[in-house]
Amino acid sequence: MKRILTTCEFCGCGCNFYLGVEDNRVVAIYPSVSHPVSQGRLCIKGWQGHEYIHSSERLTTPLIKEKDGFREASWDETYRVIADKFNQIRSQYGNDSIAVLSSAKCTNEENYLMQKFARACLGTNNVDHCARLCHASTVVGLAATLGSGAMTNSINEIEGADVIFIIGSNTTEQHPLIANRIIRAIERGAEVIVADPRKTQLAKLCSLHLMHKPGSDVALLNGMMSVIISEGLEDKEFIAERTEGFEGLKKAVADCTLERSSEIAGVPVESIIEAARIYAESKKSIIVYSMGITQHSTGVDNVMSCANLAMLTGNVGKEFTGVDPLRGQNNVQGACDMGALPNVFPGYQSVTDEKLRAKFEKAWGVNLPSQSGLTVVEMLSSVLEGKIKTMYIMGENPMVSDPDLNHVEECLKALDFLTVQDIFLTETASLADVVLPGVSFAEKDGTFTSTERRIQRVRKAIEPLGNSKPDWKIITDLSSRLGYTMEYDSPAEIMTEVVELTPIYGGISYERLEGEGLQWPCPTPDHPGTPYLHKGSFSRGLGKFSPVSYKPPMELPDVDYPFILTTGRISFHFHTGTMTRKDWALDRECPKGYVEVNSEDAKELGIRDGQMAKVISQRGEINLPLRSVDTIRRGVVFIPFHFAEAAANRLTAANLDPVAKIPEYKVCACRLERG
Amino acid sequence: MKILDKAKLSQFLEGLKPKYEVIAPLHEGKDILFGRLDSTKLAIDFVGKTRLSPKEYLFPQREVLFTFEENKKVEIKAYLDETKRVIWGIRPCDLHGIKILNMVYFSDYIDPYYQARSTNTLLLGLNCNEAEASCFCSSLGTGPFAREGFDLLFTDLGDTFLVEIGSKAGEMLIEEANLFIEAAEKDKEKAKMLESKSKQSFANQIDIKKVEGKLPDVLDNPLWAEEADKCFLCGACNFVCPACHCFNIEDIKVGQRTERVRYWDSCQLGGFTQMAAYNSRTAQVERLRQRIYHKFSYIPDRYNGQLGCTGCGRCIDVCLGEIDIAQILRKVANE
Amino acid sequence: MNKNIYAPNLAAVKKVRDEAEGIKTFTLEFEDREIKESFDYHSGQFVELSIFGVGEAPVSITSSPVNKGYLELSVAAVGKVTQALHLKKEGDVVGIRGPYGNGFPLAEVKGKNILFVGGGIGLAPLRSLINQMFAQRDDFAKISILYGARTLQLLCFVDDLEKWGGAKNSEVLLSVDVPDSKWKGNVGVVGTLLPKTDIDVKNTMAFVCGPPIMIHFIILDLLKMQFGGEQIITTMERRMECGLGKCGHCNIGGKYVCLDGPVFSYRQLRELGENI
Repeated sequence: MKRILTTCEFCGCGCNFYLGVEDNRVVAIYPSVSHPVSQGRLCIKGWQGHEYIHSSERLTTPLIKEKDGFREASWDETYRVIADKFNQIRSQYGNDSIAVLSSAKCTNEENYLMQKFARACLGTNNVDHCARLCHASTVVGLAATLGSGAMTNSINEIEGADVIFIIGSNTTEQHPLIANRIIRAIERGAEVIVADPRKTQLAKLCSLHLMHKPGSDVALLNGMMSVIISEGLEDKEFIAERTEGFEGLKKAVADCTLERSSEIAGVPVESIIEAARIYAESKKSIIVYSMGITQHSTGVDNVMSCANLAMLTGNVGKEFTGVDPLRGQNNVQGACDMGALPNVFPGYQSVTDEKLRAKFEKAWGVNLPSQSGLTVVEMLSSVLEGKIKTMYIMGENPMVSDPDLNHVEECLKALDFLTVQDIFLTETASLADVVLPGVSFAEKDGTFTSTERRIQRVRKAIEPLGNSKPDWKIITDLSSRLGYTMEYDSPAEIMTEVVELTPIYGGISYERLEGEGLQWPCPTPDHPGTPYLHKGSFSRGLGKFSPVSYKPPMELPDVDYPFILTTGRISFHFHTGTMTRKDWALDRECPKGYVEVNSEDAKELGIRDGQMAKVISQRGEINLPLRSVDTIRRGVVFIPFHFAEAAANRLTAANLDPVAKIPEYKVCACRLERG
Repeated sequence: MKILDKAKLSQFLEGLKPKYEVIAPLHEGKDILFGRLDSTKLAIDFVGKTRLSPKEYLFPQREVLFTFEENKKVEIKAYLDETKRVIWGIRPCDLHGIKILNMVYFSDYIDPYYQARSTNTLLLGLNCNEAEASCFCSSLGTGPFAREGFDLLFTDLGDTFLVEIGSKAGEMLIEEANLFIEAAEKDKEKAKMLESKSKQSFANQIDIKKVEGKLPDVLDNPLWAEEADKCFLCGACNFVCPACHCFNIEDIKVGQRTERVRYWDSCQLGGFTQMAAYNSRTAQVERLRQRIYHKFSYIPDRYNGQLGCTGCGRCIDVCLGEIDIAQILRKVANE
Repeated sequence: MNKNIYAPNLAAVKKVRDEAEGIKTFTLEFEDREIKESFDYHSGQFVELSIFGVGEAPVSITSSPVNKGYLELSVAAVGKVTQALHLKKEGDVVGIRGPYGNGFPLAEVKGKNILFVGGGIGLAPLRSLINQMFAQRDDFAKISILYGARTLQLLCFVDDLEKWGGAKNSEVLLSVDVPDSKWKGNVGVVGTLLPKTDIDVKNTMAFVCGPPIMIHFIILDLLKMQFGGEQIITTMERRMECGLGKCGHCNIGGKYVCLDGPVFSYRQLRELGENI
């Protein structure tokens, strides 16, 4: 049996394990004890979640859609069809009539190539990926306040904190290895505060649980900050030396009284005071946040509030202090780093900056478009407006992951031509005109960047199944067909190109990545990598307090739709379930979707635990069994979004944050009826 | 008893290769994993436990039981692995784990897959001169030095290994190798001294008799729920355990064939007891309690007092929720 | 293939009968003549039914050991395997492993009055025992069969019920939880039939089979009537996957339901340890 060390394909923790391979089949998993993050541990997905790789439903040949369904085709024919279509559409409607979705599941090398393909070959900045739907607010909010939108700490630092404030993160289920560090911190005596409308596992084990209303985060955080300021608990030295804009923050916070915060958040005044004191009185406090903060129409405001709170108390820029957005996908951090975003090149270098653009034009040998492109949700709406005619989607499933699915379906069906590259015939791929079979993480080389900015190797363990091709090869093949030649011998070669153009990856090479990988910024070949950010000074110099005031969610409950619907994830499935629902161990744990309802609410609705319920919003309705629980606020219901046949996103709305363009998945209004 | 020069271990194992598939602990990067012998990677001086025990050579993580083709008539083709194997470097806790697996797989109905592997595998144990923080085999009488269940048993004396013979097959390996010499009294004395020193190195001590006595009375104790609240439902405790033997059978489609495959399963997962219409263990407290009771109460009930735990402590090392079985046992003992 | 305890024997579907709403009875014959002629079992035992490509599920045998050469399984389509079975037609081939489990006590209850309490599809394993007892009728005293289902359409084995009710020193009482206009009999859960018959508790053995919640309440009723724990016999439902005491799923206390059960007396259940 061969053992190949690789990085996990599921969440952003970035665990490493060995794939045991026999006869070109993955047959065993061995955790890596020496790995700094996983330390020989894995969650159930890591242990037994990889059977999808060999599922008989894997796409193994290109498909072209005819009148009565898909037919198998050769790569040559398929490339030709796509190239002809792209050329025709571009000449007729212009370069910006094409939109490209890259993949947070694919490698850094592939994301780099995808944005290069969009920009250099297709001549458009219309390239984006699912970070738009999860941490776009982080990228904007932290860039504005701290200068850099990434997790400031290393995962192992979290264990050494004295106070951990978790807001909007069900860490146990989404980032098990990080939750493990939090539990170890608790055993060491650390205090943990959890702010979440649901009583998550960590909420059961923590010192203080603030069960606040979805969408009330700014009010809650401003409330905490008002306590800190009124009790003189702010870090005056830190504020004076390392920040700017404090007066503005003071004023904004003063406008929000503690009573008002308590009322909006639905949390007792005493709890807000206690949380504020615990957090501020410690010199080793870390804020951990995730979708509960980001997926709002006020996502950027929420993120900035977190940064404000950290800067107010001097709890950032030193070891065991920080602001930690937990990136969900195995490589969403990398996809962002590689510039699969409409407004930046790799390394967050702005496309509108003439000098930076010139650097890339020189490297890639073409003129590059100078205006920022469209974001994911905008791309879809632009289809109906006639502005986008064709899309090329790699490793993304908007038909389940995007908000307002009925609208998404309408948009995708309105395209002149849709190309989807994936490993399974997903709900999105089923709508395509052409389907390209990519490969899983086990069938290619490359790198992933985890949530703690750790760039790690992904190593090929088995040959691509059937006639599928590594995604990076497909992109270069297609590009060459379209007249922009891209030729690389290997992903390692692609990385050497990335390194030359991306300062934060400046010191990366495959040789240096052996062992534990490297955490960016790693600007030079002798730089050891960076465990925590903003030491000494922030990425932007001084930290900028960004005062925000509470704005309610864009859609609130009313008489017709009296419940708040909040969506999220569970530990057994990953996002749209494309991989995990084809794995026996994970499917067995949770084969169907459900709606979680407070037991008192369920009683009033007259629906028993296990009975079918109909959940209806202004955009659609779904049928699914009800789970009666005592771990969610009254008036709030929770639906995991993994299940296409009972898709939570049929109900959600494309209510976007005005700057980050991230949808408000965490709040919309619905009603429940007997199913 | 015999002596083998440590420098000759590699030669001895390499010499077995023509006849056997030789498995030994190997350096893989910075980790140590059991694998097919590559002398350049042999981890002769490895201390403590590998993360996974070598139980998978008798009970694999994934094993195809048989395949069927369904074209015209259903034809069943079974797969038994009868490869001759030698595994070197098995810790006493892992030897004991194999003893427990033998108990389950050879009683009532004989499992042909396990039998094929077991009867064709020779077990060469390696005693532990030092406990790791999580080890508690000494409290259960299963270590740090083994008493049974091996074909040969090695004790690291420094420059040499003292080798105890446990079976005729083991004796034959020694005879055929021509590398072993008779052990002297001082060698046996040294081994005894090392055993005693090893026993004293255990930080984790448990009064197991007291635990077994208390268990029937503490079924409803709140400690089970407290511990269960920490569980992440990852299954790791069962996967790394040398004594855990539960499995799940699935029909997996592979092209035109279907494979009936058995996989390791974990009683900590909800799906473990899920039936079509109902689940007999719906709360994590019931599942966590089952793991402890199965090992310390139910298996002894069924198998003449034999415990279902080897005291290796791997489950402590691997738990995401920091659940510590030794701590739980001490809590039970002190009830 | 018999030596490999995991490999099923092939059996063909000879007949499919719609037993009740959502419940079908399949008559199966082993393809191998030797196995067909020698296959023997006790009532209360079960087989592992294989639908190739889908999986295996434990199904209790509803035919009686006195009928040789074939096997009857009555099954509701509730899971992957049973749903796939319901699509099978005459001539289709399935796999059978077994028989497994301990079976009902028969010799031990000779001479006694026998009280059967069945709910829904739970009558299936009892039917095997009932028919076996009727084949040696004089070995037993009074036989009372109390049977109920949620609706009239869910009552199974109506032909057998009629036959049994007509036999000497035997009675059949039926009940339906949710009646329709056609139902003229007792309304309520099957436990409401208990007061409607004379039971000489001291000399009676009770066999109870049905949904877990029904078993739970019937046992409470019988205990109130002064039945002793050894006088109540029931079947336990657990995920019996291998049927061989190996996979561990059906472990409860020091027992494997597939080896030491699925038939247990109430007294044995109490001693299992885990709250059942």
